[in-house]
Amino acid sequence: MSQIAAAFSRTIKEFLRERAVLFWTIAWPIVWVLIGSFVFVSGAPKEIVPYLRGSTTISMLVFALMIAGIANLPANIASDRENGLLAKLMSMPISPRKDFVGRILGLAAFSCLAAALVIAVGFACGARFSTTDIGVLQAVGFLLLVICASAGIGLLVGTFIKHVHGAVMTGVGIAVVTSAVSGMFMPYLALPLSLQQFARVYPIASANSSAIYALMGEEIAGYNPLTVSQISLTVALSVFLLILGTILYSRRCWRTE
Amino acid sequence: MNAIRVENLTKRYGANEVLKGVNLKVDEGEFYALMGPNGSGKTTLASIIASVRIPTSGSVDIYGRKSWQAKEWIGYVPQENFSSPKLTGRENLIYFARLLGYSGSQAKSLVNEMLGRIGLSADADKRVDKYSGGMRKRLEVATALFPGVRILILDEPTTGLDPSARRKFLGLVEEVKDKQTTIFLITHLGSDAELASRVGLIDNGEIIAEGEPEALKRMHGLVDVITVETAVKSDKVADVLRNFSDEKRLLETEAGYRIYCKHGDKVLPEAVRNLDQIGCKVTRIEVARPSLEDVFFKLTEKTVTEVS
Repeated sequence: MSQIAAAFSRTIKEFLRERAVLFWTIAWPIVWVLIGSFVFVSGAPKEIVPYLRGSTTISMLVFALMIAGIANLPANIASDRENGLLAKLMSMPISPRKDFVGRILGLAAFSCLAAALVIAVGFACGARFSTTDIGVLQAVGFLLLVICASAGIGLLVGTFIKHVHGAVMTGVGIAVVTSAVSGMFMPYLALPLSLQQFARVYPIASANSSAIYALMGEEIAGYNPLTVSQISLTVALSVFLLILGTILYSRRCWRTE
Repeated sequence: MNAIRVENLTKRYGANEVLKGVNLKVDEGEFYALMGPNGSGKTTLASIIASVRIPTSGSVDIYGRKSWQAKEWIGYVPQENFSSPKLTGRENLIYFARLLGYSGSQAKSLVNEMLGRIGLSADADKRVDKYSGGMRKRLEVATALFPGVRILILDEPTTGLDPSARRKFLGLVEEVKDKQTTIFLITHLGSDAELASRVGLIDNGEIIAEGEPEALKRMHGLVDVITVETAVKSDKVADVLRNFSDEKRLLETEAGYRIYCKHGDKVLPEAVRNLDQIGCKVTRIEVARPSLEDVFFKLTEKTVTEVS
């Protein structure tokens, strides 16, 4: 347990003390919540503006979780490899699995903090949700899937991209591009048909739509993602990415060559 | 008992053989330095002993066990600065203590003691990105000094340190060494290797000489070394100096040359006269004791700072 606690504590402290991490994971989504809440809703009927703000808040919350997993985590791994910490850890009697669990828990805790801040700003800007307690629980579940899928992609990037700068750029690139083409920066119905299909398959976009649907209904989400087949696909792909990332991280990063 | 026993160790990366049948024994409590130029295989050897890499063939035993079964006895300090710059010195040490299984309170109390030992108590709560190079290196050595460590492996620990920081660091290594702790130092600096009780010289993946520092110098007939620094360097100057050197051996340095001879005090004034005759201004000349770099040069005709 102390190994997990050590990795957890180090990961979360490093994230909280790194300006670039704080910018991309917290400041950037908050800026977009502000822009989305006041600029992009002009022209919309007054009665749905709070729910559009809610939708923007959820999407930016998901973006924050994505960036934490897809960019910050691989940067953290690549930095440890570049500066010799991985070699140091490999010389010690410690378990790669416990290091991994500690890092992921640290990532999850930091992500929750980022999520809380984004939600708080969203509420302050007038975001509203029409939901029940079950809806909230469903939304939390889908956001956990976002953390799983993002961590999995982040572990893959961190395993294969050796240098910090490359890992950060790759992670940010994946996060920004996939967010743009999967409807996180615009309404689902405004996407071309092919990208709507992508948004249904890509687990992070699907989880985003599912959380919005659970909190605000189909009118704001654009479609009903809470079908058995889509939920199953989202869960399966998220868990698959996490497991794949874990296996490759343990085998390749900790491989003695 | 041998603390470290390396037998017929080979390491290949594709067609490139980095280590070629290395044999090496280090006794318990011994301070052993492995000296060689960049690319000679010394870091690869250290990382194999520390179980960070695996050999292509051969074996490494730590107190009779395979190296990967003896990790709790090894304190490895890689060449890079691995401490987290975003954490304080104290937080870095607590991290490593907890990785080794100490509880939170045990780690705190142990770390306080270690910070005192390495002279960083006053700076313990500053972030490591505010530390000087010497302070950071001392912190990183401390991560390898937790109770139970029997072998300390230091890979180029003084690289990048100014002379004062280097001396303080080496002083720390001397202080923390006790009768039971074995030190395995990797370095390309002869002055660092001189502190060891035994030195191995490595070049191109092979150990080319081994012994006590003074014995190595005597074994290879090195008596006096004359260091000559001149206003200009030229083939003419080199030819003049070569005539005064035993075996016509001349080592070119950044500031001038080094020549090797038996009676330096007699050769020195002659050398100055001859250089004056060809119009060469001598800025500094002195007779020095030979160094381990001179032994390396005699054996390989290469300087330790050359890339193999």
